[in-house]
Amino acid sequence: MSTAEGLPLPEPALGLYVHLPFCVSICPYCDFVVYAGADARGPRNRIDLLVDALIVEIGLRAEAGGADPAGRPLSTIYLGGGTPSLLPAAALLRILGAIRAAFGIAPGAEITLEANPGPDERGDPGAQAEAGITRISFGAQSFAPAELKRLGRRHSPADIGLALSAARDAGIPSINLDLLYDVPGQTLGSWADSLDRAIALGPEHLSLYALTLDDPEAEGLTGPGGDHLPPTAGARRWRERAQPEQDDDRAAAMYHLAAHRLREAGFHGYELANWALPGHESRHNLGYWERRSIEAVGPGAHAFDGQVRRWNAARLDGYVAALLPGSGGPPSLPPGGEEILDAASASAESLILGLRLDRGVPLTTLLEPQFMDAFDWAVAAGLLEETDDARVRLTTRGRLLSNELFARLI
Amino acid sequence: MPIPQERLRNFSIIAHIDHGKSTLADRLLETTHTIEARLMTSQVLDSMDLEREKGITIKARAVRLDYLARDGLTYGLNLIDTPGHVDFSYEVSRSLQACEGAILVVDAAQGIEAQTLANVHLALREGLTIIPVVNKIDLPSAQPDAVIEELENVLAIPREEVLLASAKEGIGIDAILEAIVARIPSPKGDPHGPLQGLIFDSHYDAYKGVVVYVRLASGTLHAHDTIRLMASGVESDLLELGVFRPQLVPVQALTAGEVGYVATGLKSVRDAQVGDTLTNAKAPATIPLPGYKEAKSLVFAGIYPLSGDDYPLLRDAIERLHLNDGSFTYQPESSVALGFGFRCGFLGLLHMEIVQERLEREFSLDLIASAPSVQYRVVLIGNRGTLSVDNPAFFPNAGEIEAIEEPWVSLAVITPATYIGPLLELSTSRRGTFIGLEYLDPSRVLIRFELPLAELIIDYFDQLKSRSQGYASMDYEEIGYRPANLVKLDIMVAGEPVDALSLIVHRDRAASTGRQLTERLKALIPRQMFEVPIQAAIGSNVVARETVRAMRKNVLAKCYGGDISRKKKLLEKQKEGKQRMKRVGSVEIPQEAFLAVLRMDDGAAR
Repeated sequence: MSTAEGLPLPEPALGLYVHLPFCVSICPYCDFVVYAGADARGPRNRIDLLVDALIVEIGLRAEAGGADPAGRPLSTIYLGGGTPSLLPAAALLRILGAIRAAFGIAPGAEITLEANPGPDERGDPGAQAEAGITRISFGAQSFAPAELKRLGRRHSPADIGLALSAARDAGIPSINLDLLYDVPGQTLGSWADSLDRAIALGPEHLSLYALTLDDPEAEGLTGPGGDHLPPTAGARRWRERAQPEQDDDRAAAMYHLAAHRLREAGFHGYELANWALPGHESRHNLGYWERRSIEAVGPGAHAFDGQVRRWNAARLDGYVAALLPGSGGPPSLPPGGEEILDAASASAESLILGLRLDRGVPLTTLLEPQFMDAFDWAVAAGLLEETDDARVRLTTRGRLLSNELFARLI
Repeated sequence: MPIPQERLRNFSIIAHIDHGKSTLADRLLETTHTIEARLMTSQVLDSMDLEREKGITIKARAVRLDYLARDGLTYGLNLIDTPGHVDFSYEVSRSLQACEGAILVVDAAQGIEAQTLANVHLALREGLTIIPVVNKIDLPSAQPDAVIEELENVLAIPREEVLLASAKEGIGIDAILEAIVARIPSPKGDPHGPLQGLIFDSHYDAYKGVVVYVRLASGTLHAHDTIRLMASGVESDLLELGVFRPQLVPVQALTAGEVGYVATGLKSVRDAQVGDTLTNAKAPATIPLPGYKEAKSLVFAGIYPLSGDDYPLLRDAIERLHLNDGSFTYQPESSVALGFGFRCGFLGLLHMEIVQERLEREFSLDLIASAPSVQYRVVLIGNRGTLSVDNPAFFPNAGEIEAIEEPWVSLAVITPATYIGPLLELSTSRRGTFIGLEYLDPSRVLIRFELPLAELIIDYFDQLKSRSQGYASMDYEEIGYRPANLVKLDIMVAGEPVDALSLIVHRDRAASTGRQLTERLKALIPRQMFEVPIQAAIGSNVVARETVRAMRKNVLAKCYGGDISRKKKLLEKQKEGKQRMKRVGSVEIPQEAFLAVLRMDDGAAR
């Protein structure tokens, strides 16, 4: 099959994202597709129903070209959410079993599970390890009780340590902690303290995210085929109150502080928001920044095949109805949407994603005529620097102001 | 059935705003069956939406009433409506020139107000017969006796001439009609003399071309005559001749003393200007009627489309609106901040507001106006002459200026005595001079001030109303130029002056105004990649400074599978935003920032 000029051919995915949209409760700043409360816990929970539907989708996606015809198995799997650690061990086993059957899983594959540290959320690390999980990413967010409370988190600072050592004891070889900065009520001091305590627990990986309060509804992402759910009225109010308490200057100082402390602790900031000990970079996430094919299943999940970005709609009902038709008819792929990239936006995308990485992009890619002005501007403004091996990367100032450059590249 | 000249009456209704002029006109139309009751809307003569909403008459209108009087004869009454706001006193005087009499309406509860005085003076200057009417006598708060007293004391109107009425309730309407017949003289002028008709207004009609409103001073005009406009020399076979009822109703002839319209078929209002004399091309009059002095613009501002793409639409709209309202002036100008637009001159601030609103409504445009300015006289050093400058951006450098003069007005304010203090304070704070104070009755006073027009056009009227809880009224008249201690205040962003934000201020107020503007801009200019100083300066002397600190962070969002498309859309939006920004030097400023500064209704700053 030929494609339009300059467009790469679709590639089989060697990574798979699985979205598990259940949480005990909803955090007011979170934009992910999440169902909470009775959907997630108790006699009427819909976890098994979702897992049934997921297993059908996994089969359909593999048949529809997601799996490698040459038979290469998946090398990364990412179980994201929501709170995938809520899943009973049996459900985890069923999902991974279905993936193995449909796509294959390579020996030494990276299989990440997102988890919350709270005692009622983190699940059984022994069973998780036994199911094949090699990496757990904990939503620690902060070690300050007041900040955790404000963020609507269910865990205490102590729970983070307990969760991490339990995972360690279960033999999970790679552990990440997520931390949030630019949080309402946070100070440079409390941020430094959270960082120190996180480092002291000895994780292999840290993701540091500036709290970002957007409105997916205003962005037009929450319609019937949209990949987001509209925020609740409470979440909206929370964001309106929190936003004035954020401060870009403080956030920038926090980023500088973190970059410094993590470097001293031996971490390598391999991406704008991600630090790892050598060899512990998230291989799955690197796939996104390197624009590799990644298949995706579950409500609101996004896939990329090298050519097309495709997503499933966020709503659970429509998702389940398509994959588990009650009438006994054949299942169909769930509703969603797609974006076919033209050559120009593909090359801009590739630059923007590549520049998020510490290793940057080859100098030659920025010397294309359409990027020259932005390149010159960014070098003059101190956002970009050339490295000895003919590559270009963001300076620390460039990382903090990256959108200024990216908006000129797009 | 033509009515002989001795049974014609031409009159206006003059009144302070809200005293019931339009309602009285409605009743006169109804009582004379000019308009059937079932077709009556209120304020019939105010046909523009804007007029009905604001409760004011913007454009003069005329209407012909046939009235069967008690003497058994039918009279032809031409009511020439007049605008009710001080900005339009020029139009008022024009309308009055076409009349022999005026009904003066005074609210029985409010008494004489500032425009009552102004309008009476205009009418007396034209030698009109005045029929005083105290209106709204049905109101519980009506004090007709006190108002009659006031009319006698202040305007020397004999109490026995005063009629009492309630236009709203239809009380006293017959007596007013009888008084029009009995007291107002019929027009003079020889129906057989050479044709002379004074154009007192006009409008443009897509089918009939320029339609002029005329009052015939002499001669007779027939439906198939060829007319000549004496000033422009243009001739035209007239398309239609008629009277206002109030819609245009064709007639076969108009004779001396009558008021009517002539559809000229001309395509340009410039060919048939208000004030010109219309005559018969075949037997022209030798001398034109004394016309009008040209309407004088007092307030100037730049009018710009919000979107630069709309400039051609704005140009077209202004030209077309000008056909209907020749009292504003316009010429193209451009500004770094606002793009291409027009510098316009207006009769006053309300006129400016109305022109802007009409452009926006009638032509579906989104517009922004720069801060209103007056016309300054700048005397240059070394006998290099005098400049008239109405745009602060074109003010000469301080070093070239010998002296500056600004227009002053004399201001009459009528207010309940309780508010004397706050109103004196208002005028003093606006560089005003107190001239005198006169009690109209024990509780109401007339205060006279003189003050610079520039101080009046900011928000003086709003302040007057708010400091008197709405009770005070005002009227003003230009009294010439006086020396002024003024300076040009430039606003500079990163060292570059922003033309649209320059303004002329009194030297004593330059620093405080500069501080307010720089503070405001600081809040409105987004952070840039570098520190941006915002300065207010007189020449090279900086009087206020603020700094927009450099941007330290522009979102470090996470960016995984689902975030890529979303983030790209947000970046595209940022990119579009950047493309819409106006550049002042290397600083990108959203147009909204300029608009917000220009829109601020803060009198202290502007």
